[in-house]
Amino acid sequence: MSVKNQQHTQRSKEFSFDGFIGFVDRILIGQLKMLASIARMVIGKAAPALTRPITTTSSVLSSHIFVHRDTPQNNPDIPFDFSGENLKRVDAILAMFPEEHKKAAIIPLLDLAQRQHGWLPISAMHKVAEIVDSPRMRVYEVATFYTMFNRQPMGKHHIQVCTTTPCMLCGAEGVREHIKTKLGIKVGETTPDKMFTLSEVECLGACVNAPMIQVDDDFYEDLSLKDVDEILDAFKAGKRPKPGPRNGRTCSEPLTGLTSLTEEPKGPGFGLQAGL
Amino acid sequence: MSLVDKLGNLIRAVKQNGGLFKSIRTFYFTDDLKWGTHVGTDKYGNRYFENNYYFMGRNRWVLFNDAFRLEYDGSQIPPEWHQWMHYTTDKTPIERPPVQHRWMVQHEENKTGSSKDTYYPYSTTRTKIESWMPKNLR
Amino acid sequence: MIRPRGRMLNTVCSVAHHHFNPSSSLVLPTTTTRSLSLGQPLLQAAKQPPAVVPDNRVELFIDDKRVLCEPGTTVLQAAAMVGVEIPRFCYHDRLSIAGNCRMCLVEVEKSVKPVASCAMPVMKGMRVKTNSVATRKAREGVMEFLLMNHPLDCPICDQAGECDLQDQSMMFGNDRSRFTDIKFEGKRAVEDKNIGPLVKTIMTRCIHCTRCIRFASEVAGVDDLGTTGRGGDMQVGTYVEKLFASELSGNVIDLCPVGALTSKPYAFTARPWEIRKCETVDVMDALGSNIVVNTRGGEVMRVLPRPNEDVNEEWISDKTRFAYDGLKRQRLTLPMLKNAQGVLEPVDWEAALTGIAAKVSRVEGREIAALVGGLCDVESLVVLKDLLNRLGCETLCTEEAFPMNAAGTDVRSNYLLNTKITGVEEADLVILIGTNIRFEAPVLNARIRKAYLHNNLRVAVVGKKTDLHYEYDHVGDTIQALEQLANGEHKLSKDLAKAKKPMIIVGSSSLQDADGAAILANAIVLADKLKSGSSSGSSDHDWKVLNVLHRHAGQVGALDVGYTPGAGKIKELKPRVLYMLGADAGVVTRKDLAADAFVIYQGHHGDAGAEIADAVLPGAAYTEKSATYVNTEGRAQRANVAVTPPGMAREDWKILRALSEFIPGASLPYEKLEDVRHRMADIAPHLLRYGAVEEANYFKQSHALVHGSKRPSHSGRALAPPQTVLEDFYMTDSISRASRTMAKCIQAARHHKTTKYSVS
Repeated sequence: MSVKNQQHTQRSKEFSFDGFIGFVDRILIGQLKMLASIARMVIGKAAPALTRPITTTSSVLSSHIFVHRDTPQNNPDIPFDFSGENLKRVDAILAMFPEEHKKAAIIPLLDLAQRQHGWLPISAMHKVAEIVDSPRMRVYEVATFYTMFNRQPMGKHHIQVCTTTPCMLCGAEGVREHIKTKLGIKVGETTPDKMFTLSEVECLGACVNAPMIQVDDDFYEDLSLKDVDEILDAFKAGKRPKPGPRNGRTCSEPLTGLTSLTEEPKGPGFGLQAGL
Repeated sequence: MSLVDKLGNLIRAVKQNGGLFKSIRTFYFTDDLKWGTHVGTDKYGNRYFENNYYFMGRNRWVLFNDAFRLEYDGSQIPPEWHQWMHYTTDKTPIERPPVQHRWMVQHEENKTGSSKDTYYPYSTTRTKIESWMPKNLR
Repeated sequence: MIRPRGRMLNTVCSVAHHHFNPSSSLVLPTTTTRSLSLGQPLLQAAKQPPAVVPDNRVELFIDDKRVLCEPGTTVLQAAAMVGVEIPRFCYHDRLSIAGNCRMCLVEVEKSVKPVASCAMPVMKGMRVKTNSVATRKAREGVMEFLLMNHPLDCPICDQAGECDLQDQSMMFGNDRSRFTDIKFEGKRAVEDKNIGPLVKTIMTRCIHCTRCIRFASEVAGVDDLGTTGRGGDMQVGTYVEKLFASELSGNVIDLCPVGALTSKPYAFTARPWEIRKCETVDVMDALGSNIVVNTRGGEVMRVLPRPNEDVNEEWISDKTRFAYDGLKRQRLTLPMLKNAQGVLEPVDWEAALTGIAAKVSRVEGREIAALVGGLCDVESLVVLKDLLNRLGCETLCTEEAFPMNAAGTDVRSNYLLNTKITGVEEADLVILIGTNIRFEAPVLNARIRKAYLHNNLRVAVVGKKTDLHYEYDHVGDTIQALEQLANGEHKLSKDLAKAKKPMIIVGSSSLQDADGAAILANAIVLADKLKSGSSSGSSDHDWKVLNVLHRHAGQVGALDVGYTPGAGKIKELKPRVLYMLGADAGVVTRKDLAADAFVIYQGHHGDAGAEIADAVLPGAAYTEKSATYVNTEGRAQRANVAVTPPGMAREDWKILRALSEFIPGASLPYEKLEDVRHRMADIAPHLLRYGAVEEANYFKQSHALVHGSKRPSHSGRALAPPQTVLEDFYMTDSISRASRTMAKCIQAARHHKTTKYSVS
């Protein structure tokens, strides 16, 4: 009881302090806030009043559900087996791990199955579970955890648009909208001809070459909307455009030539005290 | 009212009830002895009387079928006579016979308190314990 | 043969590593294994003399209280040793450590960040503060995060009142949340999973403690539950829609710290605070699991386990937990007697007892027989035996048979689980003979699995191959295979003979027919062989090898007070009066009796027994009487009165006592239950030593009788236990046969077999 009381009194002290700060805050920022609220009214977005100074981003939920529902395209009655060539790869993958740690092969095997089939049906998960001698649930867990495993039917080419901050600042949202209008699909959808599936992803690690998209395994970087058109048209025509930056860079070097490291590297001992 | 009038009433009542012994019998069953016009008899054999000499509330009465003896009850009066008895109308069902609709059910007296045919309420919910019954009783 | 041990545990650890906070990588496999054994120190360790063990204990301070504990202990366990309770959701004594709820964060001096005490091994000189400002702040923060997505539906939640989240948010949470996001997005919503007729799921309430997942893979051995998705979208479930096909599935209801997993049959029927609790024992199998019967208004609302390290730890089987609705159906509530037309009709007690007494007194004592079922308590067995013995009747049999050659049931060691249930944790080899232990004693099977995972227990099976949830060496299907093993001719013989502490568990289900004698004799020979092999290397000369696993709760008690196993004697005798006390297995039919036989059935359910009876006396079920049951180890335990017997039903011993009054010259001297118990103590004092196991003796003598005589011949049939698949598990006695929940379970189990996802 005493502890509780103590807690209580302490908390109320803190609150009164907070309240004081809040009071000062209100006096200082009140006018700005008023302006802001007028601005909101003008724009016409009636935002609900926040009672505390914390805002959160709206949660972007995954485009896929994390339970399985049998569909005509995806159910355990559709058989899945690795092709003869891939069976050799399966053996090679399994050979990398000790017998009692076969389960470590789940990810590479799921990846192999996805590459073979284009996406990852539930029968493939069952096959992998069978190969690594593990309960199916453990495979489901892995397959649902990694967003790169596509558990729904996919188009022939998977376009992944990065919209994380650096790309976004460089116009990734424009790229995304452009692809959407060009292909006539929304994010997460597949074109009717089963050619493209569009998804929006988080950072793919090519921030220096923003904006970028990944099509299948290749990065197309430093995109303009024209580049996007070219790339998509090429894929439509059945060709595979050359991956990489589209603005003349070979890599992530500065576009205007090197600004540092322009001279020959100094030899050993550079900059040391003469005495050393 | 003079004593003579009262005596006259008593004599008339006794006369109408069929003599001294029958009057005592009526008094025993109904705690009352009156005289009046016999306005009708219902299908159960209850006889209805009226005498406006008595004040309102006592001027219409029923003598139940003798077969009921002491087991008579207000609910034995059928609805058409009930409305005359309760001054809903001054016309007896004989003067103005009630309309018989197809959907009307037969009048039935209230059996509550009688030794049999009494309605007992019962629960329709499942009992906490369901008993086993041998095959013949199932 | 390579046998992947600890497979499940590794998986769980790896899952934890994948999905949760990085600090769960602190959980080393060794810690995981250790912590499980620390909760219940293995007997082996306890028996070692303390002088031999060097004191390498670690000293640390929790809230300035000094604690000495074994290295590898977690901070949370160390705190529990000095009575400091640290709030937790994911940590559970009997499961591996996940470390993902973060509720157990504590401040450790000189540590930069708060530490998850459930996953942090103790270190020398640690100073842990469990009630500092930082600790409280951390807890409040964690609680705020948990409540961010937990629905505030306590008023309609079955867990309310016994909810860990509710209690701990009251104790350790803040009174308001900084997350006002609900105005925009709403709380996370997760669709409910259909995992069968027993466990109801409201997955939105789930706080991702993963206790159910760990229970399923570690204890139940059914790897069907898991986490799918990641981050805020993560959900616990089966991914595909499938039944949680385990005979221990109900335990996840107790484990769930919130209302995500609740009992389906109990849903919305009662609240914890309006319930009366009665501590008693279970009779659904012969283990005598300790249970708490929850009642309200004279009605059993649910059954929960009661921890007992020696018997059931804290698990109970689904039959124990959910068959209680059978106590409310098909009950005998009125005495009945056949009238002149030969039709049973309800009568009052006096008429029933008078009628029975008239029939019984008309025949001679030796023409009377008694047959008792598997759910009878010792009190009524003793009173029945005394009553009939007074009349001159000596034919008192149990429905369950047991081979009577050699020592038979004269020596107690022949029919008990001698090494006790905890013996499994010491043993290094268990040979299961003719038993599907998973269904005949699910809780014992869970213990075998525990020993299999943590103690390198080896299991061999003689009998039909079934899924026991652990790997085993299959010796063979038939009695010949057992014989070969007993003679040391089997290919596994040499291997198995190396065991230091072997256990043989013979299922009583396989001893029911004429081959039982051969099976038991071979098991005894094998036991002696293994014992002589092991005693040379083992320090424990008292180690008992032979075990019999019974199926019925009343069987050991009946044998202890001198009933004859099996109805053979009755079939020979063709009695004119048969007194059936809860005999519902249908072992004896009208054909086995004299043509004019009078059958009296006394029991609590209208089942096979009542169908053939001429007189029915309503008795009390196990929740309705103060009664003694002896479990398969020989442990006497007392059942207590949770509710009164329904209708005119009475406690069984009282009925027999009243009946004795009506039969001239048979009046019994028992006035009170204490009198009956005194009588029990006269027969066998261990029947009143509640909770203790009376160990059996005379192994040598009884085994010598077996070795001395010729080994009984047999038909060489396959050892196939009657329960092989899950649907066989649910209905085995008159109570579970009357249960609707059990019927639904059978339906679900049958349907499960036809689905595409029946393989796990």
